[in-house]
Amino acid sequence: MSEREGYSQEVQRFLDEEPDAQLTERARVDAERFREALARYASSLPVPGRELDAAVMSVVGARPLGGVRGLVRWLFRPRPVLLRPVLIAAGLVATTALGWWLGQQGGSPPVPGALIAEAPTVLVRFELRAPEAVQVALSGSFTGWDSEGVALSKNAQTGVWSVTVPLPLGEHEYSFVIDGQRWIPDPKAHAQVDDGFGQTNSVIVVGPRGVVRS
Amino acid sequence: MSVPDEVVVQRILAGEAELFRILVRRYREEFARYAASLCGDADVAADAMQEAFIRAFDALDSCREPARFKAWFFRILTNQCHNARRGLGVRGRLDDIVVTAADRADAGVSDEELREAIDAALGQLTPEQREAFVLKHVDGRSYAEIADLLGVGEDALKMRVHRARDALKKLLEPWS
Repeated sequence: MSEREGYSQEVQRFLDEEPDAQLTERARVDAERFREALARYASSLPVPGRELDAAVMSVVGARPLGGVRGLVRWLFRPRPVLLRPVLIAAGLVATTALGWWLGQQGGSPPVPGALIAEAPTVLVRFELRAPEAVQVALSGSFTGWDSEGVALSKNAQTGVWSVTVPLPLGEHEYSFVIDGQRWIPDPKAHAQVDDGFGQTNSVIVVGPRGVVRS
Repeated sequence: MSVPDEVVVQRILAGEAELFRILVRRYREEFARYAASLCGDADVAADAMQEAFIRAFDALDSCREPARFKAWFFRILTNQCHNARRGLGVRGRLDDIVVTAADRADAGVSDEELREAIDAALGQLTPEQREAFVLKHVDGRSYAEIADLLGVGEDALKMRVHRARDALKKLLEPWS
């Protein structure tokens, strides 16, 4: 292709966002027209939404995990972590004191502190036994309370539905949505609150080490 | 900050298959436009993405560097999109669309018409040019990021993008 048919080197450099690209007014118009057309194109592209997540999970959720995967499964199996508030408070005081002391020494913060800072979300597993349900979703303050929520997968043998989701540290309210219509609190939750509209929501508190229950 | 891919992959391989949903949501959102543009058809792109995720799940234990799951999945998705596009056959030929454009009396072009024209023009690039161009101008990624995803040097990428721009300029001349 000849140079005449394409963009000039200056326009190419400008579109490459080279800092020293110099353009004539005519070339700048060409380049801006190109950018504008591509921006319109990108924003007009129809893209798949959350229905694709459900379609994928409905396929892979039914597939077995075996072989090498099974050997290490127990090592990574989620386990609830029970922490008393008084222990958390003591731990925070100790960590703060140690951090201050290291700061005085010119040292680095302790490794656990760095680990927490890099992963402020915690994977939390939700379960509900509902053998008669056709579909179960998890909805809460962390999903914007939409009824679609996060779909749970069913264990056909036990009738237990489950899903593991990453939650930010802090307190969250949630409910299960049965068959897209019936909202019920988590019977295993340690705390329930009235939502002010005659319904009950469950409460979960997520700490840096896992689910906190008092 | 979200849970790192490496951790999610390890836990899926350890038996928590439902955590795959995290990766699906993460990369469905990140690569949705790339897939739509590469395939040139929204429905075909959705099917290609779905198939790519399922293939990735089935082959997850062959992902040797879980920390680089993104680049690994990107390769699967790209292959799937190219295969899907080939399956589209002659749909969306640029010639048909240009005739429509030339017949227009007014200067305005709707988003849909523009999309069809660019989709058709992208279809006439080589697969390598199309990948690089879409990542640069549809996704708005830096050359460094594209180089990491495609495993190609930045100079070679710039060459592909430049050629793609030149080709598109010519192909889209009737629209400017």
